[in-house]
This record gives sequence, structure tokens and C-alpha cells, in this order.
Amino acid sequence: MIKNLKKYFSLYGAMFKASVIADLEYRANFFTRIATDILWYIAQIMTFEVLYQHTERIGDWDKYQMRVFLGLLFIIDALYMIVIHENLENITEKVRKGDLDLLLAKPVNSQFMLTLQKANTAIFGNLILALSWFFYALTGLPDFNYERLLWMLILIPCSLAVIYSIRFMFSATAVIFTRSENLQFLWWQIYKLGMRPDSMYTPYIKFAVLTVLPVGVIVSVPARALLNPPELSYLLWPLVLAPILIYGTHRFWNYALKFYSSASS
Amino acid sequence: MALYSVKTMKYVIETQDLTRVYKSYQKPEGLKNSIKGIWERKYDTKVALDKTTIKIESGKIIGLVGANGAGKTTLLKILSGLVVPSSGSATVLGYKPWERNNEYLRQMSILLGQKNQLWWDISPVDSYALLARIYDLNVAKTRQRVDELATMLDCKHVLNTQLRRLSLGERMKMEIIGALLHEPRILFLDEPTIGLDIVAQENIRNFLSNYVKEKGPTVILTSHYMDDIATLADSLLLISKGNIVYQGTVDEFTNNTNSELAHDEKVDFEEVIRRFLETESRVR
Amino acid sequence: MKKSFAVFLKRNLAFANLAIVTNLEYRLNYFIDAFVQPILTTGIEVLLWIAVFKGAQSETIAGFAKDSYLSYALWSAFFARIATSWMYEARMIEEVSSGSINSIIVRPMTFYEYYLSQFMGYKIITTLLSLTVPLVAAWYFDLPTIYSRIPLALLLCFYFLILVHTISFIISTFAFHYTKISSITAAKNLLFWILMGELFPLDLLPEPYKTIFITAPFASGTFVPVGYIIGRVEIDTVYTGFISVTISLIVLNLLGAYLWRKGLDSYVGTGA
Repeated sequence: MIKNLKKYFSLYGAMFKASVIADLEYRANFFTRIATDILWYIAQIMTFEVLYQHTERIGDWDKYQMRVFLGLLFIIDALYMIVIHENLENITEKVRKGDLDLLLAKPVNSQFMLTLQKANTAIFGNLILALSWFFYALTGLPDFNYERLLWMLILIPCSLAVIYSIRFMFSATAVIFTRSENLQFLWWQIYKLGMRPDSMYTPYIKFAVLTVLPVGVIVSVPARALLNPPELSYLLWPLVLAPILIYGTHRFWNYALKFYSSASS
Repeated sequence: MALYSVKTMKYVIETQDLTRVYKSYQKPEGLKNSIKGIWERKYDTKVALDKTTIKIESGKIIGLVGANGAGKTTLLKILSGLVVPSSGSATVLGYKPWERNNEYLRQMSILLGQKNQLWWDISPVDSYALLARIYDLNVAKTRQRVDELATMLDCKHVLNTQLRRLSLGERMKMEIIGALLHEPRILFLDEPTIGLDIVAQENIRNFLSNYVKEKGPTVILTSHYMDDIATLADSLLLISKGNIVYQGTVDEFTNNTNSELAHDEKVDFEEVIRRFLETESRVR
Repeated sequence: MKKSFAVFLKRNLAFANLAIVTNLEYRLNYFIDAFVQPILTTGIEVLLWIAVFKGAQSETIAGFAKDSYLSYALWSAFFARIATSWMYEARMIEEVSSGSINSIIVRPMTFYEYYLSQFMGYKIITTLLSLTVPLVAAWYFDLPTIYSRIPLALLLCFYFLILVHTISFIISTFAFHYTKISSITAAKNLLFWILMGELFPLDLLPEPYKTIFITAPFASGTFVPVGYIIGRVEIDTVYTGFISVTISLIVLNLLGAYLWRKGLDSYVGTGA
């Protein structure tokens, strides 16, 4: 068991290194990624800044707290983009071209390879931008207790696990349906639900985004850890949810593979 | 778990009534029918493999020949564990391939001629380093092995160039090295020389011949180039419309078919296969 | 002249037909694109507006009541989705970067035309089908909507689509020179969503931004047509929209033609 874990850790290290080498080939990409994500950050920030011109609070939070929320969103999203995103985006392509074959013929867990094979190291620039905004936003909060940031060490990995699980379920349907570009766009809409604070939603919906379709857990829970007085039931929930979801992806992947008919050559 | 020791296995590959059926949507013509197709769909079933029973001995090179769509690739994919059969059974090295047992996968290798398993943006040696970890290989030994294979294939000078900058022939050689890194006991080669020039083809053929003599893996090879089959294959497996229509040696086949078709002249293997495939396509 | 126009028309109708037929083949995807997406987007925006009004101190924001904003959220989700190009832009970029445009440029039709017709064909049929959703919702929930204004609003939006296609075309010419252009699409669409008024009605912006955004051509993708339908914007703004889009079309088509020529010249036939 330990030997296995060691193997997968070292394999991930090797794949990450290979990703850096591959990404260095496209130096221009680093800058285009930053440029494009800046636009996204501006879009999010602008929306709320304009809305706060006409109202004092949205959900539980005021303008300054919302900026922190957005900062967390940017950080978590950047981490997701670096480690996971490119791989899941390419599942549809891999299935269509039949590249999945070569993965399945290897003596390693195919879900592991499919999920983590390529890291998008160009996004590091965005991560730095995200961190900058986040810390800037923190300075806007009166009496912020910086020790609270320790919660991020457990909550952010849980958030990544949640994004991964949900996105993976969407992407893995490509193995069953073969062409699902639009399904991927659907994922983006659902992810958007998680990009707003859960306190903004009506009670039933709030419950839904924290449990059934837990995108609300991704940013709102870590944000609460920083902005609201501690509510343990909220803060420990991701720790329960994440392993359940990951196990769910494992079962779903095995199920989806039964449908895999391997594109003709 | 293997059922019995590989060394004492006479037949490394055995199948019994192996069948694979595919369902595909029969798309009608025109706009009107497409709209109808939203709620009403007709499906076509295609039998890719029809009750195939074969036995393959250890250490042999088997040439798998047939027209396009005859079932060659389906058979390969089932035996390599990529596709689950609709019915029937198959064992390779004592394992059910589609269970994709890691122990089995470590001893097996598949080369799909038109696809790359190596990373596009990095050099082959970097890809090999990754493969070594995937197969749990000793790093130093692997490097040695890469050297050996690259020398045999005469491509040492491009080992450190990114894959996307190499020519098709060079890329193919790199893929072959990648497929042999872990010293597989079973090798499935699907059109390994497709698209290559004559020199590269010969190169690879010679390499494969020498490699098999030295290391003794069992190889199933498909190819549309009859020279590949004629020079390399110990036995021939002819497949037509999902059925095995011939199992035997290349020479036997040439002589038998020659006499059946009642020709006097000595005809070479390629010609015989061509006539065989022509007959097949007429019958379709 | 007449004959070649007839040929041109026939050819492009065939492309539009092709687009419709290929897309209907993938039922699930089509259903999601035409219905599920806009419904979800509307839902998300509606929730946001309810929350905004809850936190606000008054019954109106910038002179309009909550119902007006909900109506805006409904119609803007729908219009913004029509006015956005994902699939066809991605295909155009892919064609140029992979070199498979070889098969198009050796035939008597232009790359621009080929994709414009497919794009418009797809958008028209998708609009007709998905139009039912906001129509039914607006009627059922009694949201402020002036139904007689819808045709003109749609016309403006479709006119804007030609501009969208031109921009996609320009982006695909970059693929002649750079790799991984596809990452631009998502960001560009995000930028457009703000400029079009998908995230919030553009008249909520403080001056001078408000005037700038509203007179820019992008507003004709969502804010102007939707604002016109719900009575937030009047006919003179619609006229401004048409003029703005026309000017942009002229400028960008000239630019596009130039970039295409330049790209083709430096084009090394990579893989057929």
C-alpha cells in the first residue's frame, strides 16, 4: 500500500516535470493565459462593484467581504486549472481520437493518469495574480485575524476535490456518449453557481448547492472560514464530502469504461 | 492471477467462440429525416468478430491479414484488453485481457500504428523516463535498454529531439522503442509500418526479425504491406468478415490457394493474398 | 451576375442545411445547447437579482423595479447565448491551425462564407426552437415584455451575429501564425458578455462608461435588443445599434480580409 502510494507520488512528480518541459516550449502561452484570465477576473470584480453601487449587501456580505470571496475564487480556480483542468478538457478529444486506448493498456490506474497526466504550468502567473488580489482584499477587512488562513490548508484541497469530482462526472460521460461538447458547457454553468456566495441563494437552493450539487462548497465554505464567525458544521462538511465524491468518481469511471467501444483505426 | 506458469504454457493466446458485435445509428438522408431522428432511431448491428476460435503458441510471430473492416483490429483490441467481447472467452498469458490486471498489462504491449503514445512536446528520452515509472522499471537498466534498441534501429541521434520535430519514420522508431521498454512477452503490432518509406519499412522489419529472435516474445502483427507478413510471420491468420478462414504457415497458404485457384505459374505470397482479398470483396 | 448569385445562394443554403443536419444528429447535445443552458443561466441571474434587491434599501434600482430586472435576466440569458460563438469559432481555429483548410481553399468557396452560412443556419433554427422558453416564461410569470418589439430585436441581434462571425474569422487568422489560439475564445466570450450586458444592464454603469458601452456595437448583442423588448430602451438606441454594428462590420471585414491574405501568404501547407 505504502509502496503503491510512493509509486504514484513519484509518477506524479515525473509527469509534472514533463509538463513543465512541454509548457516551456510555448512561452507565449504563459502571457496569453495571464491576459485572458485577467479579463475574467475583471468581469467578476466589475459585476459586483457595479451592483454594490446600488445595494449595501448581497447575501451575508458587503463589498469588502465580497472582494475576499472573489480572491478565494480566483485562487482555487487557478489551482484547479494548473493541476486538473487540461486533463479533463481533453477527455472528449482522447475518446474521439482513440487515444484512451493507449492509456488503458498501461499498468497504472487509468483514472489517475487521465486526471493528472498533464499539469498546465503556464497558469502559475494567474495564481500569483489571484494571490495578489486576495491579499489586497484582506487588507480591506477591519481586524482580520490572519490565523484563520490556516483553515485554507484543509479546505482548499477539499474544494479542489469537489470541483474535480463534479467535473470528472461530466467529462467521463464522453466515454459513454462520445460527443459531448455541450455537456462540458453545461458544467461551466453549474460551476458558475458556485462562484456566488451560498448565502445569496434562497434556502432550498442553498441546501442544494451545498449537498446534492455541491458547487457551493467550493468557495463559499472557505470564504466563511475567513469572513464569518466559526460554524463548525459548515467547515467540517467538506472533509466528509470530498472522500465520498472521489469514491463516487472511481465507481463512475469503472461503470463508464464498460461502454467504451474504442474508436476504429 | 495467472492460472499456471508462463514457462510451461504452450499456447499463450487461446480464444473460444470469441464474438464482438457493434451497434451503430443508421443515419438517414436529408433534413426532414434528421428532425424525425430526434425521437425515432434505427440501429444497425455489425458483427465485427464472429465466434472466433484460435490457439497461438509462445514465441511465434503471427501475421493477421484481412480486408478493411474484417475484424483484425477488433481481435487485437480484445486480446489487449481494450474492448470487452460480446460473448465467448479468451485468455492471454493466463489472464482475461479485459480485466486489465496490472500484472498482465506489464507483460503486454500494443503499438497502434497511427497513434502516438509518447508525449508530443517533449523528447523521446523524457517520455521513456515517464514510461519507466509507469512500468516500475529500473532507471539505469532502462537507459541501457533505450541505447540498445536505438542502436539496433539506428536512431540514437534523434533521441533528444522533441517528438513533434521528427519525421514519421523516426517517430515510428521511437514508438517502437517505447513499446519494447518493459520487455513485453506479448506484442500486438497494428500496422507498424504504415505511411513509411521503403527504406524505413525494411529497417523496421529487420529490427523486428532480429528482436524476436533474440528476446522471443509472441507477436501478433497486422499490416497491409504483404512484405511485412511474408518476411516476418511464422504463421498466418486470415480473417474475413469476422471469421478466421485460415490458420497455418505462409508457405502452405501460398501453395494451397495457388492450386485451388488452378493457376500454373508460381505466384508469390502478395499476389495470392491480393486475389484472396479480391474474392472476399466480391462476395461482400 | 444573377447566375453567380444564385449559385452563391444555393451553396450557402446547402452549408446551412449541413450545419442543421449535423447538429440534430447529436440529440442530447442539441437539447442542452438550445434549452438547458439558457434556462440555467436565467436561473442563476434571477437568483442574483433577488439577492440584490433583498439587500437594497429601495423598491427600484436605477428607476426600474425588480420585475424589470427579472425580465432582463430571462431575456438576456437567451439573447446572449444566441450572440455567442463557441463551436464554430473553435472549428474555424482548428481548421486553420491544423491545415485542413487545404480542402476548402482548393474549392470555389471562401472559408468565411462556408462558416458564416453554417453558423447562421445553426443559430436560426436554435433561436426558433429555444425562443419558446422565454416566451412561455414571460407570459406565465407576467414579466414586463413588449411582444411586438421582439422581431426587430431579433433582427438587430442577428445583424450583430455577422459581426461575431467576422471577429471569429479574424481570430482564426491568428492561427496561421500562433499555436494554441483556442484559449482566446473563452476569454473573448467573457469579455463580450460584459460588453453586451449579459451580466448586468449596461445602464447601471456610472458615466462616462455608460454611454461608451451602450454606443459600442457589442451592446447590440444583448442590452439593446433585450432592453427594447422590456421597455428599458427606446427605438433611437436601436437605430444607434444598427449604425454602430454597420460601421464595425465595415472596419473589421476590411481588417479580416487583410489578415486572411497575410496569413495565407505565410501559410506553409502543414499536413493535408
